[in-house]
Amino acid sequence: MKIRSRLFALGAFILLCVCAAAAQTRTDVYAITNARIVTAAGAPIEKGTVVVRDGLIEAVGAAARVPADARVLDGTGLTVYPGFIDALTNLGLQTAPARPAGGGGGQPAQPQQPPQSNSNYPNGLQPEVAAFEQLKAGDAQFETNRNAGFTTALTVSRDGVFNGQSALINLAGNSVSEMVVKTPFAEHFTFRTVPGAYPASLLGTFSAFRQMLLDAQRLQEIERAYAANPRGMRRPEMDKSLEALFPVINGSLPVVFNANTEREIVRALDLAKEFKLNAIIAGGQDAWKVAPRLKQQNVAVLLSLNFPRRTAAVSTEADPEDMETLRFRAETPKGAARLALAGVRFAFQSGGLTNLGDFFANAARATENGLAPEAAIRAMTIAPAQIFGVDNRLGTIETGKIANLTVVRGDVFGKDRTVTHVFVDGRLFEQKERPRPPVATQTGVTTPALAQVGGNYSITIEIPGQPVTGTLALTQQGAALSGTISTQATGTAPIKDGKVTSDGFSFQASVDYSGSQIEITVTGKVAGNQISGTIDSPQGAIPFTGTKNP
Amino acid sequence: MKKVTAFILLGLLFLANFNFAASAQSKTEVLIRNATVLTAAKGTLENADILIQNGKIAKLGKSLKASANAQIIDASGKFVSPGIIDCHSHSMLDAINEFSYSVTSMTNVRDVLNPRDITIYRALAGGVTAGNLLHGSANAIGGQNTVVKFKWGRPVEDFPISDAPPGIKFALGENPKRTHVQVQAGQTPRYPRTRMGTMEVIRDAFSRARDYKRAWDDYRAKKTKLPPRRDLELEPLVEILEGKRLVHAHGYRSDEHLNLLLIADEFGFKIATLQHGLEAYKIAPEIAKRGTGVSIFVDSWSYKLEAYDAIPYNAAILWKNGVVVSINSDSDERMRRLNLDAAKVMKYGGVPEEEALKMVTLNAARQLGIDRRTGSVETGKDADLVIWNAHPFSVYARPEITMIEGEIFFDRTKDIARRAEIERERQELEKLDVNKPSGAGATQPRIPAEKRMEERDEAEFGDGGNR
Repeated sequence: MKIRSRLFALGAFILLCVCAAAAQTRTDVYAITNARIVTAAGAPIEKGTVVVRDGLIEAVGAAARVPADARVLDGTGLTVYPGFIDALTNLGLQTAPARPAGGGGGQPAQPQQPPQSNSNYPNGLQPEVAAFEQLKAGDAQFETNRNAGFTTALTVSRDGVFNGQSALINLAGNSVSEMVVKTPFAEHFTFRTVPGAYPASLLGTFSAFRQMLLDAQRLQEIERAYAANPRGMRRPEMDKSLEALFPVINGSLPVVFNANTEREIVRALDLAKEFKLNAIIAGGQDAWKVAPRLKQQNVAVLLSLNFPRRTAAVSTEADPEDMETLRFRAETPKGAARLALAGVRFAFQSGGLTNLGDFFANAARATENGLAPEAAIRAMTIAPAQIFGVDNRLGTIETGKIANLTVVRGDVFGKDRTVTHVFVDGRLFEQKERPRPPVATQTGVTTPALAQVGGNYSITIEIPGQPVTGTLALTQQGAALSGTISTQATGTAPIKDGKVTSDGFSFQASVDYSGSQIEITVTGKVAGNQISGTIDSPQGAIPFTGTKNP
Repeated sequence: MKKVTAFILLGLLFLANFNFAASAQSKTEVLIRNATVLTAAKGTLENADILIQNGKIAKLGKSLKASANAQIIDASGKFVSPGIIDCHSHSMLDAINEFSYSVTSMTNVRDVLNPRDITIYRALAGGVTAGNLLHGSANAIGGQNTVVKFKWGRPVEDFPISDAPPGIKFALGENPKRTHVQVQAGQTPRYPRTRMGTMEVIRDAFSRARDYKRAWDDYRAKKTKLPPRRDLELEPLVEILEGKRLVHAHGYRSDEHLNLLLIADEFGFKIATLQHGLEAYKIAPEIAKRGTGVSIFVDSWSYKLEAYDAIPYNAAILWKNGVVVSINSDSDERMRRLNLDAAKVMKYGGVPEEEALKMVTLNAARQLGIDRRTGSVETGKDADLVIWNAHPFSVYARPEITMIEGEIFFDRTKDIARRAEIERERQELEKLDVNKPSGAGATQPRIPAEKRMEERDEAEFGDGGNR
């Protein structure tokens, strides 16, 4: 009896202690100690502490006090960076399924994927489309990108001439509203066409853009006149699409032009001048060639880190590649350094990279080609925050800012970089340390689970100005992939060397294009019934997206 | 001529691409010595000198003196002609046809110029210094043109000739009536489907333009309160009605070209040129009476039904009737041989040598409204000149130097010297990881370049896209 009561007392005591401990360590207070801290606001702190409380950075410094209620993470051997920002993606936004090829015939009209709109303009010419409305919280892509070390991304659809209004989001949250940092950030525009309608060519893209801006100017004037004095004036016909352009023509909403080549960039700059637009260039791999103009017009660049490389295999009978292509591949990694030298503002974006590790690897290549490592860090932290006008909240590790942090073992530009922790709005996402790649001689090599890739997909290949639709018919046998790729432009070709990985696939094909054989390499990821990835051809990498046909 | 979609896709047009920037000539004075000068205006001058100052031809004569720092070019035994002007070209264009509507006057090829198109350099190597870059022929009323000088290596804004009058492309015949944007299920093909429909589209467009002009006139006269909506489709048509924009009308059959002249009469404007006009000889007096020019292929025909009635004497007959005739290429490849096309009109119909040369130089300049600055070797004009190793009407002739406004943009000697340098650069570039082929496995050989070029030309003829 006595013993039992003593035991009871002991139990109660332990319980009490546990409760007290729980009260001491709150889940939303963290202190990373003994870490190298790259604040992106001054010199790095070689050994210091970052304190996160309630979604914000409470303290940072070599001698910052660790609060009693903080969960302490030992940062020995770790580097803390401001959460990395991908300055342009289509994260969480699915591309509309590929349309069947036209050609009349008795085909029933396919229902359009985007919801019916009462806009006076066709799909693709609707600037009012907002990424905010299309996003879904909890999308698996957010987690993938977060795990890769990104805390924030600018996202907008890749569809249409007007891609719509982008949203700057943090990559965690229970609702899209919670995730949003800023929306809309900008109107996005791509030099392309509307399939089967006007504009059917790049020529029309320009004239359609001009006419819409002029019509928006006129509508704005008429609406103002009507608001001032409606009596005796016919009610102006409302136009959702043109109204969405009011802030564009007034200069309050930037226009992000997707422009990668020199001439696309020059065209965008010309349009910006013509209509006094607040322009930003996205892609911009040739931007260094027109750096003085970018500087003069004070236009920033969301610079793609999807560096070009040759993917076609060798063939003795093939034409030599043209010098422009060879030079483009050699010069592109030097572009960031040249923009920095010219004083052009720029931020890094993934540019449709399927392997997000390449983002950091290619940023590292930019540093090997003359860009200061600090500048490279800025280009994925504070520089995009400045371009997006949120640098008072994001982009550096400073007291009071949003607690977006990326913690890396080693250096982010090092080859053995591992992202260990990611904080988004003060929420910790801990990474399991990736196992070292198994050495071939080791026994018991584990094979990761393979993605399920087999099926028929409708795909859209985003060739600038000329999206191409087609189908992928894939048959999976274990890690091997076979099947065909067919598009309007190339006909049907068998796939070669098809492989399935844990989250995607890759294959090669030799497609006939206008009587020429071109070698393409396709790499993609699978998420549910969606696929997305890149088609590498001798002319560069082109993103594609697709939907599995039921 | 090109089927635009095929060429944009995947950028397959990239051919072996030498991109040497033309070395900028800082010297403001150039003296060409002891040449045989074909002036294309005032006969042939033997052993003549040309003094160029600030890009203009300052003096023309014998034993001219230049300042000490002038660049001297010895042209003994060589021929100098004006730079060739191609009055119908689609070079430099990233898009050629806006297929969607039958009237696409809101489009402008100025928006889609590619200043790095290798055809520019090749044109220079063929002695071509200027071109009339036109929208395609898929539309009754096509897009606005741009007249450029081929200043290879310069930024795009340096290409258009700033004081060239604006122009526009019209098209009659087979092309506009059979072209439509890819028809989606449930869509009807584009109107018009007949030649009479094409005429109706043009008449309708000008009726609308006249109304539009009236609406603006009323507003400017304060008869209406609100300004009319600015309409980018109709604005260029109003400029045509006001005589401010040149119409270049693609067509083959004389009945159609005559019909267009009558519509122009009806609305009170002028057609600047009939393009192609293979049957223009049938209506030469009617054309001459209206001061309209004709820009033709010299001896290319039968590639489509409406090109069956062509004769090689077309140029001679038109010339005898007092029509301003030019010979154009409508082709990146043929553009480089326009000197020989001009020579052919001497054979067919006996057009005198200087008149023949004018057909690829001064006459094209007159048709494009740029003859005050270029098109002939005369004092005061831009020094757009070609130095040939032989008479340009010889099959052995080739340009040695092509200059625009006194600046050398093609120099055969330097070109040959640079080839080794480019080969070295290529080898360096090919060593880079990014340029190395992936994997070792051989793949199917691609079709060699020469064959591909041939197929490309056949495709141009075969699909009849614009020609």
